[in-house]
Parts: sequence; C-alpha cells; structure tokens
Amino acid sequence: MKPFSPDRRKFLKLSAGVTGASLVLGINWSCSNDANIDHTSGTDVFIPNAWLRIDTKGSVTVLVAESEMGQGPFTLLPMMVAEELEVDWHQVRVERAPLTPVYGYQMTGGSSSIRKGWETLRQAGAITKEILRQAAALSWHVPVSECRAEQGQIRHIPSDKTLTYAQLVPQAVGVQIPETALLKEPEEFHIIGTPAPRLDTPEKINGKARFGIDIKLPGMVYATITHCPVFGGKPKNIDAEKTRQIKGVLDVFSIDEGVVVLAKDTWTAFKGKAALQIDWDFGDKQSLSSDSIIKTLEALHIDETTEIVKQGTPDNLLDEKSIKSRYTLPFQAHVTLEPMNCTASYQDGKLRIWAPTQSPSEAYDAARAATQSKITRATNKIKSKLFDSVDDSIEINTTLLGGGFGRRLEQDFVSEAAQIAQRIEKPVQLTWTREEDIQHDFYQPLTLHEMRGTLDARGLPVAWHHTIKGTNAKPEGANILPYDIPHIRVDLIDIGKILPVGYWRSVQHAYNAFAVEHFFDELAHAGNHDPLELRLQLMSKAARLKKTLEVAADKAGWRHNSDLFGVASHAGFGSYVSEIVQLKEQGNRLKIAKITCVLDCGIVINPDIAKAQMEGSIVFGLTAALKSSIKIKDGQVQQSNYHNYPILSMAETPPIEVFIIDSNENPEGIGEPGVPPLAPAIANALFAATGKPVTDLPVPFDSQGIKVT
Amino acid sequence: MRIKINQTEYDIHVDSDTPLLWVLRDHLNLTGTKYGCGIGTCGSCTVLVDGNPVRSCITPVSNFDGKEIITIEGLSPDNSHPVQQAWETLQVPQCGYCQSGQILSAIALLNKKIDPSDSDIDQAMSGVICRCGTYPRIRKAIKQAAASLRLIGETP
Ligand code: FES
Ligand code: FES
Repeated sequence: MKPFSPDRRKFLKLSAGVTGASLVLGINWSCSNDANIDHTSGTDVFIPNAWLRIDTKGSVTVLVAESEMGQGPFTLLPMMVAEELEVDWHQVRVERAPLTPVYGYQMTGGSSSIRKGWETLRQAGAITKEILRQAAALSWHVPVSECRAEQGQIRHIPSDKTLTYAQLVPQAVGVQIPETALLKEPEEFHIIGTPAPRLDTPEKINGKARFGIDIKLPGMVYATITHCPVFGGKPKNIDAEKTRQIKGVLDVFSIDEGVVVLAKDTWTAFKGKAALQIDWDFGDKQSLSSDSIIKTLEALHIDETTEIVKQGTPDNLLDEKSIKSRYTLPFQAHVTLEPMNCTASYQDGKLRIWAPTQSPSEAYDAARAATQSKITRATNKIKSKLFDSVDDSIEINTTLLGGGFGRRLEQDFVSEAAQIAQRIEKPVQLTWTREEDIQHDFYQPLTLHEMRGTLDARGLPVAWHHTIKGTNAKPEGANILPYDIPHIRVDLIDIGKILPVGYWRSVQHAYNAFAVEHFFDELAHAGNHDPLELRLQLMSKAARLKKTLEVAADKAGWRHNSDLFGVASHAGFGSYVSEIVQLKEQGNRLKIAKITCVLDCGIVINPDIAKAQMEGSIVFGLTAALKSSIKIKDGQVQQSNYHNYPILSMAETPPIEVFIIDSNENPEGIGEPGVPPLAPAIANALFAATGKPVTDLPVPFDSQGIKVT
Repeated sequence: MRIKINQTEYDIHVDSDTPLLWVLRDHLNLTGTKYGCGIGTCGSCTVLVDGNPVRSCITPVSNFDGKEIITIEGLSPDNSHPVQQAWETLQVPQCGYCQSGQILSAIALLNKKIDPSDSDIDQAMSGVICRCGTYPRIRKAIKQAAASLRLIGETP
C-alpha cells in the first residue's frame, strides 16, 4: 500500500469491506464522518467519499479512477458527480484517483468508463448533497426538507438564506453519511446532456499536460530497449563496444525482453541502440509470415467442434448454389502517438512507477512479477488478500496517455522499466523508439471470413453461414445478427496467439462487422434489393439499430439503388451506430464525399464528446480501411514507422456529420462503437460503384483517392 | 552554444548533432514538444523558427544558433493566443499528444495566409498526424482563429 497521505487514509477507512467486485453495489457510504476533514493543505477539505473533495475555497475535485487517453472520462465522470451535487461546472476540478482498493480493479477499456461510473459517481454526488443539506439545516436549526441544493449552495427556501458548499465544509463534518440518496430523473438534468467543456482541454493546448513520456524525476537517467526483431527471439551475442564509446552512454545490459541502453538523455540512448551489434537467436518463429498464416487458416475446415451458433437448419439450405465470398483482414497496429514508455524508480526497497497505462491494477501486477522473488510475491499476495490491501512496496502513478486504443492494456513497458529500475537503483525513464513500438505491438489479429448465404424466391436471405478464422479470433459481432434470417450457422476456427495479438479499438467487432455487413450487401445485391431497404425490412428485432439506420438514411439523403452510397450498422459496447459513406467520382478515382454517422448510446452524457468519439473512430477506421496494414515476413513485422504504416492525414479526411438519437435508456459506450461500421460502409459503397466486393483491406488508395480496378 | 527559446536565452552543453527535440525535452524540461516518430513523418515535434514550422526531431540543435525558437510553452501565459482560444472553443484535443504540433503548424499557416482555404489547410497540416482523428475540429478551429485574427487585424 502507498504511504497514505491523511486524506487517502480516510478513503480507505470509508471503504472498509469494499473490494473491487462489489464496487457498485457494496459501497459502504455510511461510516461515521468524524475524520473526514483534511487540515494539512492549509485549506480545510471535506472528503465525503473516495470520489469527491470540497474545499473551503469553493472548488470541488472529482477523483476519476479511469485513464484519460482522449475518450473523455476526466470530464464525463465529473459531470455525473456535478449533476447530482448541484454545482456549477466551472467549480469542478479533476484528479486521477490513486491505485487503492476502494476504487476496485482499475482498467479503462471496452468502452466501459461511463457504464461503470454511472451509478457510483451519481451516488457520490447525491449523498454528498444530502450531507450538505443536513449540515445547513443543523446550522440554521430548520428542517432539512426546507433546504434546497442549487449551484454550489444550500438555500433555506422560506427565508431565502444561503450558505455555499465552501462555507458548509466545517459543519459537514460530523453529519451522519446517509446510505443512499435519491437520484435525479433525466428530465431534471442540467449538466448531463450538455456540451460541458472538457476539463483536460486547457493543459492540452499549452504544453502543460504531462504524459508518461514527460515525467521527470531528480537524478533520472534515460533508457531505450531493443527487442529481437523476430517474435520470441533472444540475443546470442551482444557487441556493445561501439555503443559504449558514445559519449553519454552509461551502460548496456540485457533484461528478459531485450537489450537496454542507458544514457544521459533519450537521444544518446537511441544513438547507442543504433550502434549495437546483436547476434540474435531468432527462435522458432522465424519462418512465420502473414502469407503462411493465411495458408494455414485456409487449410483448416469446419466440423461439429467449430460450430458456435446454430439456428434453424442452415446445413440443409446451404449448397453449391449458395452465394459465397471470402474476406481477408490484416494485422493492424495501434501506433498511439505517444510511443510506449514508463518511468520508474527503485530506492530503499520501494518501487515507484509512473506509467501511461490503461490498467494501473495490471501495471501493479506486472511490476510486482518483474521485480519480486517468487516467495515474496506469494507471501505478499496472501497478505493483500487477508488485509484487503495492496503490497506497499510498489506504487503506481498513472499519467495522461497519449492515446491508448487498447495497446496500453498490455503492461510490457511497465515490466521492463521496473526491471531496469531495480537493477540500476536509480530513477529511469524508458522510451521506446517508434520502430520498436510498431514492431512490438499486440496486434489486431489477422482474420479470414468465409461466407455463404442462400436466398429464397423473393431474393431474401434464408440461410447464413459465417466461418471466422484467425489468430486469437473471437465471435462477438458475428454471433448475434440484427437481421431476421431464419437459418444461421457461425463457426470459429482459432489458431491462438501464435504472435502477440491484443485489443485494438473495437477488437473483434471491427473484423466481424466487416464480414457481416459487407456480405449482407452481397446478398442484397444478388437478391435485387436496395441494401438499406433490405436492412430495414429485416430488422424487426433490432429496433434501436433500425432507428439509427432510418435517421442516417434521412440525413445522408440515401437514394434507392444508388451506386454512390454504402451503409453499415453495428451494435456493440451497448451502443448502436449506423454509418453511410457517400462517394464521388474524380477522374479515374473514387473519393469519399461525406460520411454520415448516427449514434444511439442511450443517455448522452456530453454530446460534444460523443461526437468527437464518432469523428475519431471514423478516422481510425478510415486508416485501417484505406491506408495501413501490418505484414509479417520471416517472423518480423515489415513496417517500422509512419512512412510505411501511414495514418490518415488532414487532406484525406472527408467531411463527417454525426447525429445522436435522443434517449432515456442507460448510457453506454462511446469510445469504440463508431469504428466497426466504417470499413464495411466503405466496402459497400465501392461494391455499389464497381459491382465487385472488397475481399481484402486496405483497399487500393493514394492521394488522389480510391483506385478502381 | 546559446539558443533563444520563447524569449529566453539558454546555455546548452550537448553534442552539436543532438536534435533540438531532445535538448528541449531532456535538458530544458520543455516537454510540450513531443516525440512521435523521430524521422520527420508525424509533426508532433514541430517548433516555430522565424514563424516557420521546423521538425525538431531531425534538426540538430547547432542549426538554431542565433535563431529564435517558439515552442508551445511560448504562445501565451494564459491560453489567450487566438489559435489556443479557437482550439478551446471547438474542444479540439482528445488524447492531446499531437496538439502542440498541430497548434504550431496552424500558427505557421496563419502567418502566411490570413484567410486560408481548405486546400491551404490540407497542405499546411497534412504532415501533422493525429491518431485520435481530431482533423475535422482542427480545420474548423483554424478557420475560426483566422476569422478572429482578421477581426483584430493581426498576424498570430
Ligand atoms: S517526431 Fe519529429 S516529425 Fe515525428
Ligand atoms: S489528439 Fe491524440 S493524437 Fe491527436
């Protein structure tokens, strides 16, 4: 456990008996409130619970136990608190919550921040508001029912007297904390649903924002690492003579993951890395290639054990006359603009980590596994179970993240920095070169999709068969179709993690939505149906998705059987999205004229952030559909930097229009659901324009537009 | 070697081939300028020299002898620069990592063109990549900043 500052100790006291799993339901709000004031900072700070601090100067600080990597939790979660607490948005500050048990398991991913925070953070605000009302009632000697909370103050309705929250801080201590409080109805919201400005914007436009790579510690040295270019290889012989001759290089040594150069600054470490001569033992993956993986997948066939969905009797309806197609989608990298990095110090038996990580909890485990002996690890684990605490010889500080997209759910960079710090017993910052970042990612898996479908006499699909093949392939996004197709079979053939694969924005939904939505258009085309009209006709059980489609058609000006439009819809992460791509002809190229996106994410916490997420997801999807792919040859990634793993540019970004459906359903994910429909919508537009399905991504594209063959 | 950054003179003791980026980041603690690729392809490391954008990751510090460098930290003490203001109004940043490069490239464009067209923006900004996909907002923010600069009759 951290050496708790006084306020943190109070968090823990309040959270007695709270563990991660019971975070939402089992919060013990009702502890005695006698010690919840912190006098140490000069101003008194009222700490009603782990999520909130109110000081006597009037500012309200919300602690957020999610990583801010662009998707907005540092704003969205405070909005939930502010709504119930009744404070003005300009009073609200945000702080990254520390890694302590009260917040439960800390992991930001799967578009889950809003969903995880929705009950807890509103309760944190509402309960605090109740405490403040009672505090005011006590000091005025009036009934609580006559005290109303509004705009950061309590008003006594009959007399119109007011006390600000700041003034109530001393009285609030000692008020019994209620167990629950009534939450507002959506009609009463005045912060939720507004485009409240992001709390992290100001520091992100003046260079003050501190990402992991910006951490500076006194006496810190700089490190970089070289991993074996072939996955799983190890150094046989390291000739570091040239490296050591470079002025400013401090040391060269190996750790489990590769060869480390230590230097007085990052540039010198990079120069030292470039001068290394390493003889590698490439290991058993050196003949692996994208092509060999595709061949392996092609040779594998379905049987009873691969079947994961069966509805009706598809096998009787699928035969030689069925419509067939096959799609191959490549590996993809994350290339967060901030490369992998981590800062660590190991002094007097204490390991401190500063990491741009999506999961402080896993960073903690990784750091512990990398630095402690098995015996210490085992005893500490038992201790932490017994006492509901974490081993305080390790401290994790989570910085801002310069992009995540799932890459920073892996903690490889934390483990490396921990090992280096423990070895040199000095503060150290490890920064990967961009080349290492691209060649040692945890990639979006390569997948192959074999599709078969049968139409009835009216040209409607009656049987559907999708075989997903891949490296660590998963079925979500393909196993439940939004369409009324009576006979369905889905098979999954997975050859596992033969190389590092991981979570890439929208994960399996990205590749499965491509296959499902593009093949749907192939069937619609074969049956002489307009693809949008056919979707609407077959979406009787997918009302919310259907609604997004109807609105998208209307907003985009969809034209019946037009050869310039393509559409795709997908439900994922709790939300529903339809996207329409409109093409235009330009010389011998097709250009994207406009993209229309309609989102139903339930209650919208902040429409401006939701729109930004759709825009960003569309640009992310465009990069994968038009520009980038990772290719493996001889066990190595062939791409190395942005010149050969290109990212969509300003000039290549078409106009994007986003519309959000009004809803009172529970709020859902916004970080990922905009990605899956994009690639199939483009493929469907190209199919409409050319009559040929898109069988491989990315499609041929250059600065002039999409090449049509 | 002495270089001038954001109106302040610094004495630098590094090998003259060290790119300015690493002098800023690791020696002067001016970490607003970012490392993204190290080969001039991403634009995160952009600084301004005499109003022009320069990729600090591939430019040795010795090239800046006697020149005036502006980094993101030098724009204003309070986010009041018209381009920062437009960025704030339009809520441009997501992760924020690329934004120093975006803002400085936008200022360089506005130094030359007070009323940039879409294709001016495409040309000036396409070397600065944003993995979070904030381009639609950057475009709007540049136009808004241009409008407010024209209103006050100034260059950035
Ligand atoms: S870091 Fe200089 S252009 Fe990418
Ligand atoms: S805002 Fe994240 S890379 Fe541009």
